Amino acid sequence: MGVLGAGQRLSRDLAGGHVGLIVGPTSDALIGEVATFADKIVVIEHPLLDTYQSETTLTALTQACKHLNPHTVLFGNDLPCQELVPRLAHRLGGSAAGDALSLKGQNETVRITRSVYGGKAQATIDLHRSPAIIWVRARAQEPAQAQASSKDIIRVPVSLEQNTSIQLMDRHTEMQGAARLEDARVIVSGGRGLGGPEPFTQLQSLANVVGGQMAASRAACDAGWVPADWQVGQTGKKVSPQLYLAIAISGASQHIMGIADAKTIAAINVDPEAPIFQHCQFGLVEDYRKVVGPLTEKLSELLA
Amino acid sequence: MNILVCLKQILDPEMPSRDFRIDPAGCDADRQAAGLVMNIFCANALETALQFREKHGGKITVITVGASSAEEILRKALALRVDSAVLVKNDHSQRLNPWCVARVLAAAVRKLGDFDLVLTGRESGDWGDGQTGGFLAEELGRPCVSMVDEMKLEASKPGLVQLKRQTDQGWEAIEAKTPTVITVTNNEHNVPRIAKTRDVMQAFRQPLTTWSLAELGVEPQSIADDLASTQVVELTIPKKQSHCEFVTGESLEERISKLAQRIVSIVQSA
Amino acid sequence: MNGELPTREVFWNVTHVWVMYVLLVPTMLVAGYGIYRRFRMWNRGRPEQRFDQPWVRLQFLFRHAVVQQATWKKRFAGFFHALIFWGMIILTVATTVVFIHQDFGLPIMQGQFYLWFQSLTVDIFGALAIFGVSLAAARRWTRPSTQLVHSWEASWILILMLVILVSGFLLEGWRIAATKDPWGMWSPFGYLIAMASNAWMSVPAMQWAHVVTWWFHMGLVFGFLAWAPYTKLLHPLTAVLNLYTAPLTPIGSSLKRIDFDKEESLGVNALSNFTWKDLLDLDACTECGRCTAVCPANAVGKLLSPRDVILDLRHLSRTQDDFTKPIIDATPALSPEALWACTTCGACVESCPVSIAQMPKIVDMRRHLAMEEAVMPDTMEKALGSLEARGHPYAGTQFSRLDWMKGLNVPQRADIQECDVLLWVGCGGALVERNQRVTRAMAQLLEKAGVNYAVLGREERCTGDPARRMGNEFLFQNLARENIATLQRYQVKTVVTACPHCFNTIRNEYPELGGNFEVLHHSQFLERLVSEGKLSPNAQSEAKVTFHDPCYLGRQNKIFDAPRQLVQISVRPPSVEMEKSREKSFCCGGGGGMSFVDEPANQRVNQERARQVLETGADVVAVGCPFCMTMLEDGVNAVRAADPSTRPTQVLDVAELLWDSVRNEPTTV
Repeated sequence: MGVLGAGQRLSRDLAGGHVGLIVGPTSDALIGEVATFADKIVVIEHPLLDTYQSETTLTALTQACKHLNPHTVLFGNDLPCQELVPRLAHRLGGSAAGDALSLKGQNETVRITRSVYGGKAQATIDLHRSPAIIWVRARAQEPAQAQASSKDIIRVPVSLEQNTSIQLMDRHTEMQGAARLEDARVIVSGGRGLGGPEPFTQLQSLANVVGGQMAASRAACDAGWVPADWQVGQTGKKVSPQLYLAIAISGASQHIMGIADAKTIAAINVDPEAPIFQHCQFGLVEDYRKVVGPLTEKLSELLA
Repeated sequence: MNILVCLKQILDPEMPSRDFRIDPAGCDADRQAAGLVMNIFCANALETALQFREKHGGKITVITVGASSAEEILRKALALRVDSAVLVKNDHSQRLNPWCVARVLAAAVRKLGDFDLVLTGRESGDWGDGQTGGFLAEELGRPCVSMVDEMKLEASKPGLVQLKRQTDQGWEAIEAKTPTVITVTNNEHNVPRIAKTRDVMQAFRQPLTTWSLAELGVEPQSIADDLASTQVVELTIPKKQSHCEFVTGESLEERISKLAQRIVSIVQSA
Repeated sequence: MNGELPTREVFWNVTHVWVMYVLLVPTMLVAGYGIYRRFRMWNRGRPEQRFDQPWVRLQFLFRHAVVQQATWKKRFAGFFHALIFWGMIILTVATTVVFIHQDFGLPIMQGQFYLWFQSLTVDIFGALAIFGVSLAAARRWTRPSTQLVHSWEASWILILMLVILVSGFLLEGWRIAATKDPWGMWSPFGYLIAMASNAWMSVPAMQWAHVVTWWFHMGLVFGFLAWAPYTKLLHPLTAVLNLYTAPLTPIGSSLKRIDFDKEESLGVNALSNFTWKDLLDLDACTECGRCTAVCPANAVGKLLSPRDVILDLRHLSRTQDDFTKPIIDATPALSPEALWACTTCGACVESCPVSIAQMPKIVDMRRHLAMEEAVMPDTMEKALGSLEARGHPYAGTQFSRLDWMKGLNVPQRADIQECDVLLWVGCGGALVERNQRVTRAMAQLLEKAGVNYAVLGREERCTGDPARRMGNEFLFQNLARENIATLQRYQVKTVVTACPHCFNTIRNEYPELGGNFEVLHHSQFLERLVSEGKLSPNAQSEAKVTFHDPCYLGRQNKIFDAPRQLVQISVRPPSVEMEKSREKSFCCGGGGGMSFVDEPANQRVNQERARQVLETGADVVAVGCPFCMTMLEDGVNAVRAADPSTRPTQVLDVAELLWDSVRNEPTTV
């Protein structure tokens, strides 16, 4: 939705058309949904696209783009898209950028902003060579607005060959029980200031009360207090919950990178100067030891 | 197996935010503001290669495109006993974008001879484009497997490499034909090792291949074109993003109670 | 016989004495071989200069071998050891007198000397020796403690000594009784036995018993002499050698410098990598166990035992002929887990009565692990990685070296022409939030006192102490050389620092790398400023304070009084001492790189020390070290979290206490 929203706005900047592109197996429902937001819909279907394979998908996209000659191609922020962006740009002789926060169109140029240096700086970049191939930070985008549903569905034929250079042997989906941390709506996270693995049990009871998931800063994961896949940050997971409650986390910029998309950030930290407070909507300056227990009780009372 | 690991030297990402400065030209960070280190995902890639060599043998070459200071990270790699190291000096005044870097690397690969595996880090801790691997695959006309965290060989399958890659949902096992380009991410098994002191001392005496862009036959015009494709028009240090409202109250109990109410209001609307 | 010169016959009723002389030969050969074997073993070590400054060495030897200063630190053991020691000395002298009298034909065993020394003194000391051996036996057999090694050898030694001493008295008694020795009363204990024998033994029976016992006694003595060099009883010899060759420098400078241009092995993983002095250390050990008893890591249940490090190395030195075999992990006491538990506090070295250097050997083996094998605990690896990349061990800190000065007017060396004193802030003082407050107090005190000082700011690097203690000597030397160059470039003469680790390293370890600077701990410098009247504290605070000696200031550099005086001039009530203070202070747990390690929850040295702090009932525990500060604060918090009834105790640096009193805002309780 974020990608479509970005596309919608960009197309207005450029006074061009907005095309929804669907690659691979699709359904009427999906087409219907996309049609609400796009001026045109392009569908690329081919038996070889039934299961995702990067090389085949790339070939299909290249053929379709050569056919459509787009000004800009936008992708979401899932991992396969991130890989496709530079490769497609290369094949089309365009330009590439990733992790775009905002996009603006101006004649031939697309201007994006993105966060660099672990969030310490923000860059404004012009993509001069068309087509501009960009993946956007989808959750940071305003969702698309519904518009007159387009009836225009174009099916672009592609000729594909079986590519055997990369073969999928096994696929494993984790977190079948619990939701992915990336999808969690409430996250309770602990950091170096907890001083050891024991306090995480307290945080867990707090998380249980608010129906949240557990996460941690890199310091806590590195110290082996909690599993490595709890790590949120530049080198860990990038999360976007409604509420991110940071307890005894100082807020190193690499951690902030991982929570930049959180709707609300709240912190409990003993140090009023802790950088985390610069990114918070609200916070409490206090030793977590004095807070977590009573807070859990209070919350279970209020949420009962 | 011949393995090439592409490394990048970056401004220490763990530097305090308060020390971060923009350089006078305004389009990049001031590299004097803190130390320079090997990008962490590059170190993960190197570690993955070292473990692969321990199990399956082969040769590891490391390469970097950068300023003369980048020699440091090559010495670090030599201290971990890679077989050879190449420094491609970027005599360009401007920072090269991933496409340029990939073009230069590809030229070096052609000059160095064939590699079965070309490894890059998933992304860098400075600009974080995450594109060099993809561009390089295209430059070399090879397939690309991204987000890999484990690499091995099965003796019964010559010409194939077994890879484990991270996905949004979990992981995938992949079999890729060599030669191929691989971008490496981190997991608990490829935490970079530390060098033995003797090897560190040795590394300072080892030879290093240094090439200029001209020696690689990279056309200045192609670099200029690629550079022009993405232009950094501005780099700014963001202001404090939000104003934190500190919960206040007479007693700790009162403050906790107020905190709880705010949390509840969000949790219930979520 | 009255009127004659007092003396006695040497052999009296014993004949065929020549047999004894013949037996003396094999005894000496066996004993000599035992000693030779040890010498040969020490010789397999690498060279080391330990024979300089003979006069200083002799004085040291006198204090420790004759007065036995260190042994007396344990009262009971010191007492019985002195009884046995002096008994054995006197008896040996007496035997020598007999030897000279009989075999050299010099009639010295007569007259007043015979009565006062050879009879009375020897008799009394013999009896005291029996008493001493009995006490030792009683301790060993009735109060089993983990401090002692419970070996057959130790028990046999005590039994043998007891039998030899008692049989000696029997011989004396029977001789006095049978010969009706007119001077028998001069040997009071022998005389008692004589009287007892007279009551129920005939003279021929006594003569017969004397002969038999004499040969038995002689046989035992010879056997004992021959056997001693193969047991811990070699220590009278090895201890003397070891004390004479003991390091003359403070514990803080006991780590050996590695010359990376020459060195073939970095650190130690084989007996052959040790120096001859290290190997002599092994043989000097008397198994007394004091080192392990004072070891903080051992006290909280970790695997480390300095005594077992030494004894296991000694065992290896005697059982494996190949001195190049790996020693690390050869026994549990030599396992990496044990070696990495050391806080390098130096309590083991301080406690040793025969000057064995346990801690430096542990660091030697760490060096091998860190430099030759590059394996160490992850958290130490991170700290070292950060030291290498950023010149400080606090990976991920968001502070820069300038942040602590916010709002203060702190002169930076690069910005000014000259300064009298360089304030060495240290990584802890600059980058750890709690310690920044200490550094701020320090800077304000210097400003108030009108001291012309400056800091290096961004140009400061870690002194290298943690790198060195974690075994990475290479990194240490790189950091040290960089700092020395910076200090020399600014022509720094005097350095003041609030970190005892920085203090120790600059004071004791920089000189051998070419950096010679006067270094003062901030407590010394502040005390000087107060006594010169440049600071006027008003001791209004009612806080009861106990001072925790930082290992690298106190035990390792023998500075105990300056910080205590600072405390005393800053608060009103007299301060209280912890049971373990001064030389015996118990480590906070943060030395040797351990402050970067996450200890198991039930094995935290800082919590043990925090309990000792809380026992004093003090309102404030004063510290003089950034590591102690964070370790003790965490420790006190953890102990209080577990038991909320515990008294609240603040951790404050001595500079903070002083600043509070100087600015008239008394430290509140």
